[in-house]
Amino acid sequence: MKAFIVFVTLCSIAFAIEGEYCYTDVVRACQTTNKLSTSPINCTAKYGAIDAVEEGLQKYVNHHFLRSFEYLLMSTHFANYEKNRPGFEKLFRGLSDGTWHDAIELIQYITKRGGKMNFDLVSKEVKEEEVSEPNFELYELSAIAKALDTHKRLALEAHMLHSEAARKTSKYHDPEISSHLEREFMHKHRDIIRKLAGYTTDLNSLLVGPDSSLSLYLFDEYLQKE
Amino acid sequence: MKSFVFVVFFVCATAFAAEQLQCEHKKVDVPKDWLDMVDPCVEKMRGQIQEELKAAMQYMAMGAHFSRDTINRPGFAKLFFEAASEERQHAIKLISYLLMRGELTSRVSQLIRRNLVPKLTSWPSGVAALKDALRLEASVTKKIRDVIIVCESNPTQYNDYHLVDYLTGDFLDEQYHGQRDLAGKVSTLEKMMEKHGALGEFLFDKKLLD
Ligand SMILES: [Fe+2]
Repeated sequence: MKAFIVFVTLCSIAFAIEGEYCYTDVVRACQTTNKLSTSPINCTAKYGAIDAVEEGLQKYVNHHFLRSFEYLLMSTHFANYEKNRPGFEKLFRGLSDGTWHDAIELIQYITKRGGKMNFDLVSKEVKEEEVSEPNFELYELSAIAKALDTHKRLALEAHMLHSEAARKTSKYHDPEISSHLEREFMHKHRDIIRKLAGYTTDLNSLLVGPDSSLSLYLFDEYLQKE
Repeated sequence: MKSFVFVVFFVCATAFAAEQLQCEHKKVDVPKDWLDMVDPCVEKMRGQIQEELKAAMQYMAMGAHFSRDTINRPGFAKLFFEAASEERQHAIKLISYLLMRGELTSRVSQLIRRNLVPKLTSWPSGVAALKDALRLEASVTKKIRDVIIVCESNPTQYNDYHLVDYLTGDFLDEQYHGQRDLAGKVSTLEKMMEKHGALGEFLFDKKLLD
């Protein structure tokens, strides 16, 4: 019994020390007379599951940048003198701005949790898109349909990261990451997806029949005021 | 009988057509006389859009680096993230200009390519990053000058007065002011760091947050 208590005490000491890398490193560093001989102190902001999801978050940032540029191209197409749809231009420009700022916010978040950014990483699926020549010069309804699909993919990627952070093992469970993803991304995604889906519903009925060209003109006017 | 089948077919066809979604509309015949930009100049402008975005992503990498917990320079990070968004705005301004001149009616999908990954991603100090930023701006200035040279005369002998004026008065103006600002920051910081390295950078960083 005594031996067990000693064992438990030893373990708890070991545990306490394990949680105090930074302090022990600092104590050691402060005792060393020669500053140059000290190894770097282990005082990072890292805790929880950030190491496990860091790569996923980095990819997520890069996907945001790629989508932001694609939305910018779609917006550009609607702004040429032949298309001349300022409402659609504004809609896609807004999506481009939004994904751009979300990417910056996400980089800041990664570094808040002690991680760093890697601009090289993209997922296999996104990498595969490069083999086909992409087309972002689309007609109105097709463009909104594409944006809806794109934004759903972004939303589902956040879900995936969320589940990764919330994997209920002592190693991985990190509700701070999940909560951040919910607050900063998921609800926003929900609103954008709902809006775009609503637009496809409208256009799907407005574009039937001979008045479709006039409908598009009026719908564009509506989008300008949105 | 034959004609009856034909009539039925025709009626059905029009009925279906009326029910069909009209997603595409015909191209309108707009006179082309007003389109007076020449190809080499347009190509240069398209290239410059890509350059501005490359600069944006390079600044983004600087912002990311100085945001790290082990670097901890929020002032520098703020400066560089803002610079990144400004560069993106420059790209958008160039796009808007081309659209105003009736360009970008085709090959828009190829306008931005996927080769914007920043080359440098870490810096030994704040002053090293500021110096890199200054070099980056100088190279962008040179590229804008190259656009101007092509759009002013070479190789078609067509002087695009309006674009050249816009690039000179608007873009170059911003380049030179920006470069002066960066050069001043490099000087101040390097002088502060000469005797007080760590403290100099710490204080300068906090100043950038104001
Ligand atoms: Fe620029």
